[in-house]
Amino acid sequence: MNTKKELFQKLQKADRKQARLYLFCNFISLLLITAYSAMMLSPTVLLVLPEGGDSRKQMTAIFVLALFGCVVFTIYASCLFFRGKAKQLGTLMALGASRRWLAPGLYKEVLLLSGASSMLGVLAGLPFVWLIWNGFRLLIVDSKEMELVLDFKFLYLSALFFLIVVACSCINAHRYLKRTNIMDVVHEEHKNEPVRQLGRWCGPIGIVLLFAGAVLGYLAPYIHNALFDSYYPPAWLNLLYAPAFAGLYLIMLHTVVHGWRSRKKHPYRNLISRSMMKFQGKQTVNNLLVGTVLIAGAAFALFYLPAMMSSQLAALSDRPYDYLYVSPVTQNIPGQNEVTAFASGYGLTPCDWHECGYLVLGMDNMVEVEDEGNTYHLEHRELAGEGRFLPSSAFCALTGETLSVEPGTYYAVSNKEETGLYWLNSNATQLANMTTRETLPVTFAGYTHFDLLSGATGYYVLNDADYAKIAEGLGPEWQERVAAFNVTGEDSYDFASAFFYMLVGSYDPEYAIPSYYDRIEKMYAEEHGQVYWGDTESMTHLSFDAPDSTEFRAYWLYMPHMTLLDKNDFVRTYAVFLMMFLFISIICILAALVICYTRCMTIALNNRYVFDDLERLGASPKFLFAEVKSQSRNVFAVPGFVGSLAMYLLFALILYGNDGKMTASEFLSLGMSLAILVLLGLIIYLTYAATVKQMAKTLDIPH
Amino acid sequence: MLYVKNLYKSYETGKKSYPVLKGISLSVAQREFVAVMGPSGSGKSTLLNCISCYIPFEEGTITLGGQGLKDMHEDALAKVRNEKLGFVFQDFMLLDGLTVRENILVPRIIHGTVDSKAEALADELLTLFGISHVADKYPAEISGGERQRTAVARSLINQPLLILADEPTGNLDSKSSRAVIDSFENARQHLNATIFMVTHDSFAASFCDRVILLKDGAVYDTLEKAENRSDFQDRLLTKIKEMSGDTE
Repeated sequence: MNTKKELFQKLQKADRKQARLYLFCNFISLLLITAYSAMMLSPTVLLVLPEGGDSRKQMTAIFVLALFGCVVFTIYASCLFFRGKAKQLGTLMALGASRRWLAPGLYKEVLLLSGASSMLGVLAGLPFVWLIWNGFRLLIVDSKEMELVLDFKFLYLSALFFLIVVACSCINAHRYLKRTNIMDVVHEEHKNEPVRQLGRWCGPIGIVLLFAGAVLGYLAPYIHNALFDSYYPPAWLNLLYAPAFAGLYLIMLHTVVHGWRSRKKHPYRNLISRSMMKFQGKQTVNNLLVGTVLIAGAAFALFYLPAMMSSQLAALSDRPYDYLYVSPVTQNIPGQNEVTAFASGYGLTPCDWHECGYLVLGMDNMVEVEDEGNTYHLEHRELAGEGRFLPSSAFCALTGETLSVEPGTYYAVSNKEETGLYWLNSNATQLANMTTRETLPVTFAGYTHFDLLSGATGYYVLNDADYAKIAEGLGPEWQERVAAFNVTGEDSYDFASAFFYMLVGSYDPEYAIPSYYDRIEKMYAEEHGQVYWGDTESMTHLSFDAPDSTEFRAYWLYMPHMTLLDKNDFVRTYAVFLMMFLFISIICILAALVICYTRCMTIALNNRYVFDDLERLGASPKFLFAEVKSQSRNVFAVPGFVGSLAMYLLFALILYGNDGKMTASEFLSLGMSLAILVLLGLIIYLTYAATVKQMAKTLDIPH
Repeated sequence: MLYVKNLYKSYETGKKSYPVLKGISLSVAQREFVAVMGPSGSGKSTLLNCISCYIPFEEGTITLGGQGLKDMHEDALAKVRNEKLGFVFQDFMLLDGLTVRENILVPRIIHGTVDSKAEALADELLTLFGISHVADKYPAEISGGERQRTAVARSLINQPLLILADEPTGNLDSKSSRAVIDSFENARQHLNATIFMVTHDSFAASFCDRVILLKDGAVYDTLEKAENRSDFQDRLLTKIKEMSGDTE
């Protein structure tokens, strides 16, 4: 070994353990970010998650959290690498190596390590996505929409992260080379990083801030919109979540510095592990914080599944009819005779058949009109939108309810829990026949309940005499009908499926419209020279060619209710939604667990001399193992507990805040989420147990 | 050879400043073997780190071989460390991935002059310090004394003006300590080395020509060896007792 090149090669070989850890950290970060961004930007997901919708916002928000976590993690990995390398660098500096002499070799090494690990991470990201997604398709659910299509624009995000990783490594290399105190560099490896200590108040204050930030951030948009008649809350309002992050930091700080157990009785309990953690507090607090954020992101993504499942379960329970379908009278839709004949082919006989016509009338309302500058004003429009009105006698016959509707009044049909009332017009003072433009003065009498006609379309009930009066002269294009029936014997999925396709096949193409499509709003827009928003490109466009798509089944105006079909096809219909959120949670959990594992292993490696000293002082393997456990317990338990609990409470707040009450399906959703958290806790525990074993092995502690 | 004049150095902890060296002046002549002793916190290691320019200092001048070391450019300082100074540390500071022989050659590699002459000198040093048998071993495979003798050999490979040794026997047993001191003696005798050593060990210091005693960041006294080693150690111990206020 006579040359600088050979010297560096030998030193790099000696540093390979440190380099391996660095490679692993970068590789994992790039893999996860590539996988996440590939799915987030894939047409498979973008076609299903509506633009501007909550699900897409949630997906992006969790991506930002994951990105934040991975950036902190790679910075941490880079710092770890240089801490390990510091003695080598310091020795060479002490022996007269100048910055200029060291720089080329060092930069070459870090560029090679960070570049290669990042590149491998990006490359591995693709098969990782493919494996997970196709694993879902193979093991959980498959549909036509689940077919994985990637848009390689995600590589821009990977490239950005790649640059961040490489830049971090170069900045750290520059920082070390620039240091003038060589002794500091030499002793860097064993330098403590005590965190700034705050009093015991920091934990309780942290908890208060965490909740205050969550509540403030959640409620601020509503308060802002109410105060300033604002249409969309400004983005800066998200900053009001900041106290939650400050609170999280204080909680982590309290965990590291003071711990959460009272030490009055046993002041020396866990003294060693507490002091070890405290004197490497900076990195520990950062790691706990990132782990918590990622677990919170994972929990949030996981809660999406029970939220959808429980609302579906609630919607399916206690249906008075196995089948209910609505249709315009202008279309040749199968009636009782055709359905009976069709069902007989499946050995089924329809029974309890109820059928009635109803009117699509114009309703007046106060309408929010968007102004310039993100504000709106309220305006009364005589023809504000459509409402579907049933005569009270037919409604009672259909539902079995007893409802007396006074002349000149109307009821709105909601579900039993009276959620989603915002879809319904409770302000109408007159109804309009859209053919004759005759009007009928009305007042709102209240809500009546029938789950199968509740929702975005908006059904109402009129007094029979009023109904007959306003129906006079109404053209058939404003008339529809509803039919509902049960079947004798055991219902058949084959029949339900075939009946659904039969209904879909009966429509003319122009009836492939979503439930929020309103012909009266369209008329108003066109009369004012505007393009109706429902016709704009950004809105959902349905097609009878894809009757199994999520969009079609979720939004088609005339989507029938078929209990067996809804039950069986739910997971398939929402497969992309469900699997995307499952995928997100897997990414976040994986990232959090890798970070916790790496932190624990670093604690073990950096404190090896402490464990050796304790052994010399007579500590038994049992005592040493208990110290190892105590160290790693906090690293895993705190992010797991705080991240899950905080997100669970926020989730409960969101469920409550949606309509100011908790429904049975929401309680069910909370229960299911709790079960999911128990499962998540189990995964964290198993990883913790495996990590403890690995730490003990590294420290040669028999266990 | 080495002149230190009015050297001041303090450490900052938070907003507080703690003076460690308070106007130290001293000199070391060529081929001299000088020790610095003093209680913990007296500033011994700080003085050594300032002389080697490992840490910056606030005031004073340090002149080595006629060259002032304050405010030198980083590259020039590195050149001084490589060519004019040799270092021996308490914890050896050998590079784990290199063999003993390779460790000795590192300053030459940094200098860019590894040739057959340098290799021959490395072999000569290995023999001189009795570590030829471990030449191809790695630091983890040899004893503490052998490691420190490797460090001494490394400090001499560029034939520097001055060797700076910080507690070179601090981590060693008495047999290994003696071997290290012998290597310094050998270096002086055969290679005309000048040695400036910080130590706690009165036995090691008693081999020196002169011992500078530091107390609270200032020179308390300087003792020159005029008697045999054992008597000089006794005189040293008496002086140290006096310095620590132990007059019984």
